[in-house]
Amino acid sequence: MAKKSDIQLVKSDGTRLDGRSPTDLRPLKITAGVLKQANGSALVEWGRNKVLAAVYGPRECFPKMLTNPYRAAINARYLMAPFSGNEEHSRSGPNRRSQEISKVIQHVFENLVLTEQFPKTMIDICIEVLQSDGGTRIAAVTAASVALADAGIPMRDLACGVGVGKASGQLLADLDKGEDNFGESDIPTVISPRTGELLLYQMDGMLTREEISRGFDLATEACMKVHAKQVEALKKKYDTVLEEAGSNGE
Amino acid sequence: MITDEIKETMIRDLAKQGKREDGRGLTDYREIRVHKNYLPNAEGSAMVEIGNTKVAAGVKFDVVKPYSDRPDEGTLTVNAELCCLAHQEFKPGPPSVDSIELARVVDRGIRSAECVNVKEFLLEPEKALGLYIDLYVLDHCGNLIDAAALAALAALKGARVPRYEDGKLIRDEGTQLKLAHEVTTCSFEKIAGNLVLDAVNAEEVASMGRLTWAVCEGDFACAAQKSGRASFSKDELLNMLDVAFEKGAFLRSKV
Amino acid sequence: MKKIVVPGEQVSDRPVQCDGCFVDAGKTFATTMSLATDERVIPLKGRYVPVLGDFVVGIVKESIVIGYLLDLNSPYLAKLGDRDCREEYRHGDVVSVKLASVNEVHDAMAMEPRKLEGGTLVAIEPVKVPRVIGRNGSMLALVQDHTGAQVSVGKNGRVYVKGGNVALAVQAINKICAEAHTSGLTERMTDFLKREAARSEQVN
Repeated sequence: MAKKSDIQLVKSDGTRLDGRSPTDLRPLKITAGVLKQANGSALVEWGRNKVLAAVYGPRECFPKMLTNPYRAAINARYLMAPFSGNEEHSRSGPNRRSQEISKVIQHVFENLVLTEQFPKTMIDICIEVLQSDGGTRIAAVTAASVALADAGIPMRDLACGVGVGKASGQLLADLDKGEDNFGESDIPTVISPRTGELLLYQMDGMLTREEISRGFDLATEACMKVHAKQVEALKKKYDTVLEEAGSNGE
Repeated sequence: MITDEIKETMIRDLAKQGKREDGRGLTDYREIRVHKNYLPNAEGSAMVEIGNTKVAAGVKFDVVKPYSDRPDEGTLTVNAELCCLAHQEFKPGPPSVDSIELARVVDRGIRSAECVNVKEFLLEPEKALGLYIDLYVLDHCGNLIDAAALAALAALKGARVPRYEDGKLIRDEGTQLKLAHEVTTCSFEKIAGNLVLDAVNAEEVASMGRLTWAVCEGDFACAAQKSGRASFSKDELLNMLDVAFEKGAFLRSKV
Repeated sequence: MKKIVVPGEQVSDRPVQCDGCFVDAGKTFATTMSLATDERVIPLKGRYVPVLGDFVVGIVKESIVIGYLLDLNSPYLAKLGDRDCREEYRHGDVVSVKLASVNEVHDAMAMEPRKLEGGTLVAIEPVKVPRVIGRNGSMLALVQDHTGAQVSVGKNGRVYVKGGNVALAVQAINKICAEAHTSGLTERMTDFLKREAARSEQVN
């Protein structure tokens, strides 16, 4: 169902309401290893989004019935805090939307994680959206990838994503909440940067084949920028120690 | 909590001598960092770190129907979430009794001191403001109660009451929430007969029991909660209250 | 050439079989955060997986029919049979063992239990264990010599320290782990230990 809006989300020269061009990402900051208890963690601050991911595992599989004798089971849980939106207070805990998002996120890592190395165990990916402003599932996957790497869990690649969409007739990268709510289409996309293949893909609205194709290219280009930030966040943890050790060379 | 006998023995031995593994005094807090207005989408928010423990608090307002026994008042609800992020033993499911206790203890302090005047929250007949405080535990490295209470205070202190117009709340505009009092808590663990403030995980495991005092400025006690199987003497009770009063000024200064 | 690599990053344009790597379309990529040198790829993080013959430090988790279940700070537990024990153990007891057998799904049977009491247990990343031990045990000897402490390093990342200057030994072990992937570490640790040991002596 195409969403129509009277709001001019994109000017004729391509500038968006917040001044960005159609291909610009919102400011993105990623920090790895922010939590002490978790085996791995990451905080993603993307525009006004604040998403925290933590990884526990591989560890004993619980509930026991999910134990797989050949590989690790992956359990992803995406939740939004009751104070995360800028409207009403919501109930804490999972709802239908968060359960669907948890499922599609889980599939991303079922592809990437080398689960055969840890049979009979479980890897828990816990994601909390502390503040939301459009594209939280993308921020969630971005954070979870970094958290998994921070935990030392073997993967074929880091997953990175972007919410591509259409508003005021224009294809845009990294939709914010306003563009998502009042635009014509929203396409959350997650790829494996090494292969360029799709790991998460959802779409709503009404688009032509050509728009889908251009949207995919737009997403891939934007995802590489996200990937660069993920790599930077992970390497930063080790660079500081390398520096310190260098300067301490007594 | 997984712990080992070596660690527990060491902590008890140190406690008997008035010492702690990280070298702190028995009534010293770890480093405290308060990040005010951490989540601008909420009407009030804060993130508090005490050592490695991290707790976020969010304040939200909604239009609610007053309780039938208090028809001209708004409501105050405190909820706590022990997020699965925060510790390997936190699993999904219905609220555990620990998360319920955490929420209720923080609530009791705020409510007893009447920090928030819910009588001013009436908007029109059958409609009032409901204030929701959600305590989100993000990293459990000991002493969740004190971190949560401090986060709640910091979030309330900077909170904005939305403007009410034509049946809707305009959240971008509003007035500063007025706090009648500022409540802080001090939680003590009883380890090998000694009282230890701001325990880390291993100290909580080695402990026989805990007592929390909530206090506000002017040296008033607002709430108390004894937990665990240890018993406490009257002297211990009053000693802890004195420490809570002293630390109250210190904690309030952080916010 | 020494650089830090992330999962999915290419480490060679030839197919190389090694830990912490996988091969795709004739090229080799890292699977975890690692230090890549010209010769090999050294993972910087990872959980311990039981290996036959390993000396590990376990914590008794529960009693079972045949004996005990030991927590190894690993996704996998080890079983310790009653018949191999000379005493009874309780939940929380720290016991060093040798892994007598490990099957394809990493279930382990332990033997030669020794209860560890007093002293201190330090948790380190399992991937750092080789650095703490050093070539032919040289780094471990360095720490023991300068602190007078007895240090037992479990392959599962649990280090037991007893006697002598325990505080300095623990500090040294943590320092080795923090700087594990830098060069010149042995020299720096020697200087550090000499300095700090002398300082402790002065204070005492």
